[in-house]
Amino acid sequence: MIMQRLFLLVSKILPTQIAYGHCDIPCGIYDPHNAQMAAHTVIRMTNLIRDLKIDQNASIEERKKFIHALSRYTKVKEEHAEIVKHEIRVLWGDYFKDEHLNKYPELHDLVFKTMKLASKARQEVNIDAANNLLETVQEIAEIFWKTKSIKSTKINAPYPSGGTIIIPKQ
Amino acid sequence: MLLFSLFKIEGHSMEPTIKNGQSVLASSLPYFFSKPKMGDIVVFRKNERVLMKRITKIDQSDDGKKYFVKGDNEKDSMDSKRFGWISKNDIIGKVIYTF
Repeated sequence: MIMQRLFLLVSKILPTQIAYGHCDIPCGIYDPHNAQMAAHTVIRMTNLIRDLKIDQNASIEERKKFIHALSRYTKVKEEHAEIVKHEIRVLWGDYFKDEHLNKYPELHDLVFKTMKLASKARQEVNIDAANNLLETVQEIAEIFWKTKSIKSTKINAPYPSGGTIIIPKQ
Repeated sequence: MLLFSLFKIEGHSMEPTIKNGQSVLASSLPYFFSKPKMGDIVVFRKNERVLMKRITKIDQSDDGKKYFVKGDNEKDSMDSKRFGWISKNDIIGKVIYTF
């Protein structure tokens, strides 16, 4: 009890510093690829939800199947829109520096748009928002590789979502 | 460092022992009298960042002891495999009290 009071007293006197308990070392390992893959997944799930059909006279089993598929696609769409936000947030918070922002001032707006689009694509079954999300993520990816002085290229994505991905040339 | 320092943890790697946002009191005093040992939760400096992890392995090499540290929350923690073993000089203090 006395020790506890002593510790509390000390805590009131001392200034608080931050000690990190996660991987934000910084480790120097960053890549916009995960954000792109997640954005592709959002597109894919949005399309799968849009393609789901059920007959008005569907049986209980068919309805269950429909609801099950819809639930799974929605869950994955939710999760991957959040992954996009997480990945972009890490690049924004840990990787991009003042000099990058000075050189690419559009980054502020791009990150803002990406966050909003990820939320929209998550909240709605909105293929335009999902496609726009991939576009802004790719614009960030292109800037990311430029900041590393690595040339990037846009190739056709080998996914059922179609579209493209940005990859480093080296 | 001061004999006592107050830290607030940011991140989930020490959960459930120390939760994100929780404050701890760390002190360099215990290591004046004894060496860091397995199981100690330490605050240390690595790559210009202050981190908090638990010592889980100790290696006695020719150039002094090295400590392997990792978070209690294995699902959400980086460890010495990622950023290397730490030395006693890296350690700011031992966590002696959590709030």
